[in-house]
Amino acid sequence: MRSPGPLKQKILKKWMMGLQRCKKNMSILERKRAIKLSADVAMASLRNDAAYWSRVLIAKAVNEANNKKIVQKVFTIRTAACNKRIIRSKKILKRARRRRKRTAQASSITKGLVRKRRRILKSLIPGGEFMNGVTLIEETLDYIISLRAQFDVMESLARFSENQSQ
Amino acid sequence: MSVWQSLSSAMEIQSQYCFPTTEYGLQYESALSSMVSSPAASNCNISGESLMIGELIGKLGSIGNSGEIPHHSQPMLAASKLNSPLPKSTGLNSGVADFSADPGFAERAAKFSCFGSRSFNVRTTQFGLKDNGEIAAYRSNPLAPNASLPRVSSSPAIKAMASQIGSSNNNTPLQERSELANSQEESTVSDQNPEPGLKGSNSRKRKAAPKAKTKETTPSPSPNTSKVIELNEASNEKRCKLSESNGNENGSGKAEEDAKGSNTKAPEPPKDYIHVRARRGQATDSHSLAERVRREKISERMKLLQNLVPGCSKVAGKALMLDEIINYVQSLQRQVEFLSMKLASVNTRLDFNVESLMSKDVFQSNNTLQHQMFPMNSSAPAYLGHQPQQNPPLQGNTAICPKLNTHLPQINEFIDTVPEYPAFCEGDLETLVQMGFGQNQNQEMALHPQNF
Repeated sequence: MRSPGPLKQKILKKWMMGLQRCKKNMSILERKRAIKLSADVAMASLRNDAAYWSRVLIAKAVNEANNKKIVQKVFTIRTAACNKRIIRSKKILKRARRRRKRTAQASSITKGLVRKRRRILKSLIPGGEFMNGVTLIEETLDYIISLRAQFDVMESLARFSENQSQ
Repeated sequence: MSVWQSLSSAMEIQSQYCFPTTEYGLQYESALSSMVSSPAASNCNISGESLMIGELIGKLGSIGNSGEIPHHSQPMLAASKLNSPLPKSTGLNSGVADFSADPGFAERAAKFSCFGSRSFNVRTTQFGLKDNGEIAAYRSNPLAPNASLPRVSSSPAIKAMASQIGSSNNNTPLQERSELANSQEESTVSDQNPEPGLKGSNSRKRKAAPKAKTKETTPSPSPNTSKVIELNEASNEKRCKLSESNGNENGSGKAEEDAKGSNTKAPEPPKDYIHVRARRGQATDSHSLAERVRREKISERMKLLQNLVPGCSKVAGKALMLDEIINYVQSLQRQVEFLSMKLASVNTRLDFNVESLMSKDVFQSNNTLQHQMFPMNSSAPAYLGHQPQQNPPLQGNTAICPKLNTHLPQINEFIDTVPEYPAFCEGDLETLVQMGFGQNQNQEMALHPQNF
């Protein structure tokens, strides 16, 4: 079993960087939001351009005005580029929807079930609605791994701080 | 792509009807030999291409004249030399380099097709419609088990690969896969040797090598390697399209080359097609082939997901697996939210002691602390004795956010089992699998009624 790994420490570091930029004396909900946001951004930043969902996540974070400081502190990605990509993907998606669908022989019930679930998955994963079938699953893989890492980091920090406070 | 399709159909027709005119075969051979000799620039290309071309030439030799075989022996010798020892690294490199020259190869294919296009096209128009029927009638029964064999071999190969995801070396699982595939192909070759004249189509499929990607896209390696592997993956997804329904010799040789060529190499050209063999009794038009390739890709990735998501290995079928995946992602997201809430409550100010955090003790404390402290779990009686201090922060949470109450029992179960994975390493999916994700399954099953 390897050591916890440099990745987790990177996540932690970036997370702390993001949190340092927050103003003091926030309510608990605000704090929670800030924590979650910083963690998300840290997680996404480590994937950088390798995964689509990470860019979408960051772009969405940047779009909300409050978060700009945190995001910029954590890393310096070209957020404008991310935004453009999202806008472009949305346009392409609209155009694709407008075109008449080729009616395949999707009469079986299972295909409908699968399609429903695919839609749900798309809603779960950031940026999922822009992806086709194959990409969706790859991004899911990626996302699950990163989520898992993020969760581990957060959990260990929570334990650590709890332990300290007692 | 259409070039090769016409070529393949023409070749099949030739094989079936024992195309008599040898001049045709000779011209074919000359064109092929020119193709072999032309890539003198890169050495590896010759080995890779001569493999395939050797097979083609051998096929032609068997079709046309027995006397012509010695003519083809030279490229065949080279090909057989490459085939027999199944060189691992060099074979892989050659196969990989083969793909590095694919645009050039495609050009040559186009040239070659132009050379024989007239005649080939004529034949295809004559016989194109009857292709499927010919293929069906053409197939001999002994081929049936062999046809299914390669298919079967590829899936356990892929499973073997999936279970070895944690290896750092890119090539080793791919080598194993190619070895497995090669061994299967060799068996088919040996089976089919007694009947060289009857050549059905193997149901051989090129599978992408997503393993490389999933291994390496996990962030633990440096970003450079992840970029490299992204390139690999991109090139894997588009490969040379070659739908030939040739004899087993060719099929096995080609499949060998395919298996070798499917290994990834860092600098690869962007343009590629996918090698696909027409399956027995199935349509060979490009659309269905492309669809089938796409479906194969998706099912491959789903298999990967099976290993990743706990509780998925028992489930068969896309819908149920997607269900599990959705549950897992949702639960992970909820857990993250919950944890952030908890952290927010524990720290009244966002002042984490950075230096103490940076020490590895943070993560290692997981191992030591898990025996002493256990957050918010009332359902684990073993830890109850140590727990009383944990409850106040929890109740602070629950007071503020009553909604979280419903999530607590779910997450408790997760966090119970999380200490079992103390050193989760993102790149180490292998350890995930080994660490007994199955332990989570019981909890996962319990989660389902709560989620729905």
